[in-house]
Amino acid sequence: MRIFKKVGNTLHVLSFPGEEVEKGGYLIVEDKKLGKSMIAQVIDIQFANVPGMMEELLRSPNTDEVAQGEDSDPLDIMSHILYIQDARLLICKIYGTLVDGKICPDNNWLPSRTHSSVKKLPTETLLNLAGITKGLLIDLGVTHDKAPLSIDACEMDGRLNIITGKKGTGKSHLSKLLVLGLVQHGATVVILDINGEYTNLGLTEDGTKTENFEKIHVLSPGENFKVTLYQTNLYVIMRILTYALNLPGTSAREFRHIWRALEESGTVTLHELGGAINRSKCNQHVRDAMYSRYYAMVHSGFFTDNMAEAVDLEALLKKIENNGGGAIVINLSNTSPTDRQIVVEFVLAKLQEILSQWKIKAAFLFAEEAHLYLRETYWDDAVTRMRHYGLFTTFVTNQPNTINENIYRQADNIFLLNFVNEHDLEIVSRAARVDAETAVSIVRDLPPHHCLVLGKVVKDFPIIVKIKPLNIQTLGKTRYFFKERKNVD
Amino acid sequence: MVIEQLQYTITSRYNFPQIMQNTELNKKLIEASLNTMHNVREKTFQPFETRLLENLEQNNQQVLQQKLEGKTISTFLTPLKAIEDHTPIIGIDVSGIRLGETETGILCAIRGAIVWNQNQKYKYLRIGPFPFHITEENKQELFSHFENNILQEINTNHTPLFEAIGKLCNQVERWIQTAIAYSASESIILWDGSLTAGTSGNTVNEISYILRTARKHGNAILAFTKVTTIRFLGWKITDIIVNHEPPCLFEVDELPLSITKNTNLLGRIYVANLASHGSTFRLDIDKGLSKEDNIMAVQRLLGNELLFQGYPECLRLAHIYSTFTANDVIGIQSFLAHEYGLRIVPRNNMRKTLFGPYGTGLDD
Repeated sequence: MRIFKKVGNTLHVLSFPGEEVEKGGYLIVEDKKLGKSMIAQVIDIQFANVPGMMEELLRSPNTDEVAQGEDSDPLDIMSHILYIQDARLLICKIYGTLVDGKICPDNNWLPSRTHSSVKKLPTETLLNLAGITKGLLIDLGVTHDKAPLSIDACEMDGRLNIITGKKGTGKSHLSKLLVLGLVQHGATVVILDINGEYTNLGLTEDGTKTENFEKIHVLSPGENFKVTLYQTNLYVIMRILTYALNLPGTSAREFRHIWRALEESGTVTLHELGGAINRSKCNQHVRDAMYSRYYAMVHSGFFTDNMAEAVDLEALLKKIENNGGGAIVINLSNTSPTDRQIVVEFVLAKLQEILSQWKIKAAFLFAEEAHLYLRETYWDDAVTRMRHYGLFTTFVTNQPNTINENIYRQADNIFLLNFVNEHDLEIVSRAARVDAETAVSIVRDLPPHHCLVLGKVVKDFPIIVKIKPLNIQTLGKTRYFFKERKNVD
Repeated sequence: MVIEQLQYTITSRYNFPQIMQNTELNKKLIEASLNTMHNVREKTFQPFETRLLENLEQNNQQVLQQKLEGKTISTFLTPLKAIEDHTPIIGIDVSGIRLGETETGILCAIRGAIVWNQNQKYKYLRIGPFPFHITEENKQELFSHFENNILQEINTNHTPLFEAIGKLCNQVERWIQTAIAYSASESIILWDGSLTAGTSGNTVNEISYILRTARKHGNAILAFTKVTTIRFLGWKITDIIVNHEPPCLFEVDELPLSITKNTNLLGRIYVANLASHGSTFRLDIDKGLSKEDNIMAVQRLLGNELLFQGYPECLRLAHIYSTFTANDVIGIQSFLAHEYGLRIVPRNNMRKTLFGPYGTGLDD
């Protein structure tokens, strides 16, 4: 391989047949005279612009073409000509300089074209050099050169993460892998499970219990996840009424009075709340507004006056933390959009409350297709306030445009699976932690279950990993009508 | 994601007349090439800029002057009818290219191509490329290498090195033409150029021998000249019959010609307009054949060959397959660097050095 040119942080390298280089792989350009080496990632592989190629191809016969023939080339010069024809141009992005065994982010030097050597940098060596293999490891899978890739769970701590890719590429699979990895390291994880696909995280494919079975707590709103108004303080209930049920300001003020009166009398129950709204001497429209929201709450089945069937979320979170980690799966699959918003607002408000009072240390929140249940303002909260409370969000989506642009810019770790749509690629390329060209070029060609990992977990060296299989029941698979026919075929 | 590397396989062989495989030609060429190349090891060489490289075309045409003497053009015109009888058509062409200069000489490469059309199928055999390092010291030896009873010795003592490449090209072409004339039978053999002997590198004996050999095997040799300098009453002869209904032949040979000294016309000269909307070409046909056989040969060509712009497809393909592309040049230079340890030194552009942007050359 030879250096051809360097433009900004882009390096063009010529490679020849036999020098097998893959997109996403790393090269090391060693300039022994300067005593340093440049580390660059191959983001695209093109044919070298060899003069006369068009003429050469036009006259070269294909097997089905009119003219067939042979070359009497006793000196075997044709092999050199073909060798030149297949020369490749590797477009590489520079990610740092290696000096005395340490990586520094200096890209502002030029290695010599004549005496620099360009070699493949095995991913394993890169991982060791960058110190990616240390810490509380979560095994993600293997890289293109079969090096195992594990990320440090600490690098997800206090971070904002995104997992995105088109349908069927393995987002949920990766998400489950991360959840289980965090749980194994003692973390508290809350999952907003829109499709109910995390509910069997504690079971293997054949239905036997895994070591994590006891750590996975599935809460289905209206079934085993109900709360009393007594557990729900005014702050939480007002968030539900305002954000999930859109209660107007005047009505919210009136509701606050009613709630305080019930608190003073120690009768904060659904039954009493209904009666108090009915009895309130306010404008008829205000009363109707409050009553319609009250009915929405009642019909959600999420609230109960029966203390025995209510779930104490705070106690559950504390228990998980004390028992060395676990996950709470909020199964939103059978809830209506309004009920889903009520539940999510409750969970988030409660989490914020618990965290702000330091009742638990921190929690990791996994939100699948968050645009279906999160209000607009939560995006900014996730970036600014939530992480200070100790709630570290991971957004999982197949529609990258549904995530606010700020999230991409502020995300600390991004797990990109395949996208081919130009519009989607343009959105993910806005991520601040990666060069746009790298994201677009690599992500477009990622096979299913391969992920481009960007950000702090890989010390800002984009790495492609084939996500390892998980022996758990996967409920995120698409259900087919013609499945039997497909199996026969 | 593994980027697949191409696997090169040897092209399968085709049933070209066996004589071509048995000929000494390949052996001779390799020997000649290696003999000239042995003195080039570890030298430096300056490649010519790829875009300035031109294939060395032979220009052996002579200027002829004609007088009509009262006859009309139609007197010399022969309308043609295609005869479709599955006669094999064979085209031959050879190209040479200058690769660069060493301290002592010039490096060039030569490649020949034979294309034949049998039953509407085109097949080809490419011979080469063969690199040569021609120096003042070895040029005579190089040409002596090709000497035999048939192809006469060429005195190259006073030939400049650059012209020596053209002569070498001619020599290789004559070798291939001889081999084909000998190996093919009942075929029409197409050459690029004319059947004029006496010009540089084309001796009467050589060409006569090839024509004789071809005739003995029932072949007819037709030589197509793409650009002719022959003029008639101030007109280029190829322009004279442009407006006549094709296919037709215009018999230039019938005209009284005053021929340049030292040239021998071994073929009858015609102007051929073989296809509608096509170009007209000077066509030389073996004089050893009767006029009727000449016309018959062209009619068989019409009936058994594709004509592109009035030019035979075999000859067009032979040119395409033999000619060197920029990619070939880089490949051969890479071969020389690997095999002979040649160090490539960039060519100093004197015009640019002296005049900067005010030079008048194409590359300024």
